[in-house]
Amino acid sequence: MFSSRLWGGVDVDRYPLSCISIKYIFLLLVLIVLLGCGSKTMVVLVPDTDGKTGAITVSNSAGSVDIATANQATTISGGQQSPPSTPILLEQKDINTVFSRALTAQPIPPVHFILYFISDSNELNSDSFKNVPAIIQAIEKRNSVDISIIGHTDTVGNDEYNYTLSKGRADAVACLLMNRGVLQNHITTTSHGEDNPLIQTGDNISEPKNRRVEVVVR
Amino acid sequence: MTIIAVSLLITLANAIWSQASPTTFVGIVRSVCNEAYIHRDDTPIPAEMNMKIMIRDVIKTGPDGSLGLIFEDDTIVSVGPASEFIVEEFLFNPADKKLSFVVRIFQGTFSFLSGQINKLAPDSVRLETPDATIGMRGTHVLVQVVGRR
Repeated sequence: MFSSRLWGGVDVDRYPLSCISIKYIFLLLVLIVLLGCGSKTMVVLVPDTDGKTGAITVSNSAGSVDIATANQATTISGGQQSPPSTPILLEQKDINTVFSRALTAQPIPPVHFILYFISDSNELNSDSFKNVPAIIQAIEKRNSVDISIIGHTDTVGNDEYNYTLSKGRADAVACLLMNRGVLQNHITTTSHGEDNPLIQTGDNISEPKNRRVEVVVR
Repeated sequence: MTIIAVSLLITLANAIWSQASPTTFVGIVRSVCNEAYIHRDDTPIPAEMNMKIMIRDVIKTGPDGSLGLIFEDDTIVSVGPASEFIVEEFLFNPADKKLSFVVRIFQGTFSFLSGQINKLAPDSVRLETPDATIGMRGTHVLVQVVGRR
């Protein structure tokens, strides 16, 4: 079927079957590459900035692996049909070799300030008012252009009332910062209502520590 | 009747104010080194310090680039050279119980230090790679993807 020539070193006139086999093997390899069986994912659990280690689950249709020990890693080679490998402990130097650029690119974590108010008002209590210069310093140190002011409530009372009160307090703090030179378009104010408490309580429980405004400087 | 109308109005206003509008940013660039781009609506924008990140942005670094982001829930994401990922979902609205964070990693090296969304709703945070899905509970995870499809 072909004129006499060599295909992959095999004389295809004398061995036409080899020609067909090699062609199909080649097509199969192309198909495997296209299906991404050449891809590989490695997932490593490492301690966070406080030195604590959380937990991860790595899964696909072929299997699932849990890791809760620092510096352990799982690898998946060959696509979604290959289960994640049993976790192995990596040496710190090997983790650094692979991830050094990603790790050195990590920005400074944001800083949070928690402010409390005189009961049923938009006025900071005296302790919290003393924190305001520190907030300004944190903004200046980071040249921050992303400051969130978030109002929070406890689980007592009416949702609408709590939302309005906590949003009003967040706006009052924004004013304090703007009076000290922070640009309004660097500030976002919002309220999380009762849904992001500092201290978990049941419903309708008075908890002064949850009635707060949080300032996050990024 | 007035009370009902006013209550409805407050609830509606609440709902409108707490929706993330399409132009709301979800994060901010806080470190850039060499070649790094934000691809938005198929347009590559060179990444700069303090640039705002939106949902569906694709982040891409060049052969010697790196980038670090802080998301609105304090999640810290950073990537090394020759890396690419997309922010598929980001919702941080605890008052409406709307919490979700999904990132799809296409290639490269990637560091993810989880924030408040993961603290409030661990199952709502996912990292997708070509070979597996990663779920987590309050943690720092590193991902390397090679030989992309």
